[in-house]
Amino acid sequence: MKNFSIVILLMGLLFAAPSQAFAAFNIFACEPEWGSLAKEIGGDKVKVKNATSAFQNPHNIRARPGLIAAMRKSDLVFCSGGGLEIAWLPILLQKSGSADVQYGNVGYFMASDFVKRLEIPEKIDRAMGDVHPEGNPHIHTNPHNISKVAKELANRLQKLDAGNADYYRQNFDSFMTRWNGAIKRWEKMAEPLKGVPIIVQHGSWAYLVDWLGLRRIGTLEPKPGVPPTVSHLESVLNKVRTYAFFTH
Amino acid sequence: MRKSLRGAVTTVSLLTLLSTTSAFAASDADIEAIRKEIQQMRQSYEGRIAELEAKLVNVENKQESQAKEDDKPAIMSSGRRIFDNDFNPSIGVIMNGKFTSFSENTSQIKGFGIGEEGERVKEGISLGESELNLSANVDDKFYGHITAAFVQEGGEDKVEVEEAFVRTTGGGLLPRGLTAKAGRAFWTLGYLNEHHSHYDDFGDRPLPYRAFLNKTFNDDGLELSYVLPTDLYTEIGGGVFRGDDFPGGTANGEGAGSYSAFARLGGDIGDNQSWRVGASWLGSESKGRSTNEGTVNFIGDTDLYIADLRYTWSPTGNSKQQELMLQGEYFLRNEDGTYADTGAGTGLVNFDDSSSGWYAQSVYKFKQQWRVGYRYTRLDAPDVPTGLIGSALDSKGHDPYINSAMIDWTNSEFSRLRFQYNRDNVVANQTDNQFMLQYIISIGAHGAHKF
Repeated sequence: MKNFSIVILLMGLLFAAPSQAFAAFNIFACEPEWGSLAKEIGGDKVKVKNATSAFQNPHNIRARPGLIAAMRKSDLVFCSGGGLEIAWLPILLQKSGSADVQYGNVGYFMASDFVKRLEIPEKIDRAMGDVHPEGNPHIHTNPHNISKVAKELANRLQKLDAGNADYYRQNFDSFMTRWNGAIKRWEKMAEPLKGVPIIVQHGSWAYLVDWLGLRRIGTLEPKPGVPPTVSHLESVLNKVRTYAFFTH
Repeated sequence: MRKSLRGAVTTVSLLTLLSTTSAFAASDADIEAIRKEIQQMRQSYEGRIAELEAKLVNVENKQESQAKEDDKPAIMSSGRRIFDNDFNPSIGVIMNGKFTSFSENTSQIKGFGIGEEGERVKEGISLGESELNLSANVDDKFYGHITAAFVQEGGEDKVEVEEAFVRTTGGGLLPRGLTAKAGRAFWTLGYLNEHHSHYDDFGDRPLPYRAFLNKTFNDDGLELSYVLPTDLYTEIGGGVFRGDDFPGGTANGEGAGSYSAFARLGGDIGDNQSWRVGASWLGSESKGRSTNEGTVNFIGDTDLYIADLRYTWSPTGNSKQQELMLQGEYFLRNEDGTYADTGAGTGLVNFDDSSSGWYAQSVYKFKQQWRVGYRYTRLDAPDVPTGLIGSALDSKGHDPYINSAMIDWTNSEFSRLRFQYNRDNVVANQTDNQFMLQYIISIGAHGAHKF
């Protein structure tokens, strides 16, 4: 009994201790793409923590101790959503997220909620592999989607950190000018790609395929998240051989 | 533009008609007939053109509304139908079946009071443990979870409530980082205790869990935990429990019987490496802890101190493809009370001594679906008081140890097959060769896993 009162006392002391003052607005970005966007709009007023690196598959990372610590301090959680981070984000939110970053609040920002999602399955069965009931969450491969997400991000930053609202608006305007210019340039460059048949590794390219009018004729993964077998790869290869485009 | 289209079509059709008919010498009647024909054709063309125009307008409208929809920043969940089962909890089922074969008839740990769950697993084909998990947010402030396990004990199928708890949601009721959990749960203690056994890397629990916690500590109680606002992951917490579950026992409900406290520290080294260390304490006042099939009884205080370490490294950054996991825990137990072994007729014997146990394991995922692992686990028995010589609590100077090796194949996150070999030296001068084939199947909802 005595031991327990010591524990209670210790915990009480910790709460009484003044919470650290944070100069910056902390953004927890699930993927580096959103981390970059957050830096564009947030500039030097925000501190961004990327939960994954460009080399990592954001479906399957662990709810690592370092991420729990990062979530503890975050003011905005900026992720793809649509089920992409379902294996680890809920634990972080439960363990150390504030009320503001929980589902349904301004600090909980899932990018794929703000664009038109592709490939929403009509039927769900795990025999289909790791399908997302919410549709394809890899929305960042179409730059028009980025425009929409950037707009909403700027809105949320202005709401959450009202003191710097003008700063965020300016950054957003400057970003959009550059981004729209880039889209025009890319679309011009990609004109010859219209209708070109391609093979993708994973469904993550659906939005790029849709944007550039490419024609997806096969996927290296037989089912989402299931590694390819030799026979599946052979069937993909055979399919490729039927297209004159690849043999020239 | 549409008007000029109609004009052009009419003119062209008239011209064609005129040019073909002008070659003949025509009577008035003929001309009249032709006029009628033209009139009919004109009507027919106009009808068709009107139809086409209507279609065009339709398509244009659709495009406009599409464009409007694309500009709309609101959530695209409009038109979703709400069914009355939308608020049902997530349901998940885990099936964990085993086939085991042992070279020795018995392998009973001596020198420790061993509970039923701590004994060697059943030989032969068995269903093992099947779990039914139900969980859902209760409202914005609470989350509820229940795990019912279907087990076979003494030839009978039984349902056990392994977990049934309510927990505060993140940032809901309590300040950021603070979580309260009440009910029955796999409480925070060491590394393995809070994990369900289907998540373990080996088919059975290491010796200290079997001897000191009767496999797992899931008493009824209340636990508080707090994640500190530090750069390094730091969590502290503690709990109060009824005192019925091992190492407690026969709680009369007057006050609490067991208490816990824990602290954890962890972090990442770059993107590919993570580590966590922890220290836990579990104190119990037992009013009667019955073990060894009811023949051994302990009354008194038990203090259990646990240190745990876990380190993971995924060479590619993707733990799904390749990963090395190192894990170990050390247990120290102090007991102060009386032991009695009715089987050996010892009577009440004063006991005040400490014992310890540990395990260290390494699991390596060398290919996306394949893992191999090795584990060593050991118990260090306490000295035997004179009154207990010859009883179940007499280790006869032998410290039990087991070497284990396993290989498992994971088809998807939801199915795993495992083969394990234990070289079990739990009994002095006896090597029990244990073979284990295990399947772990998960259907339905399956929540995210802890680190």
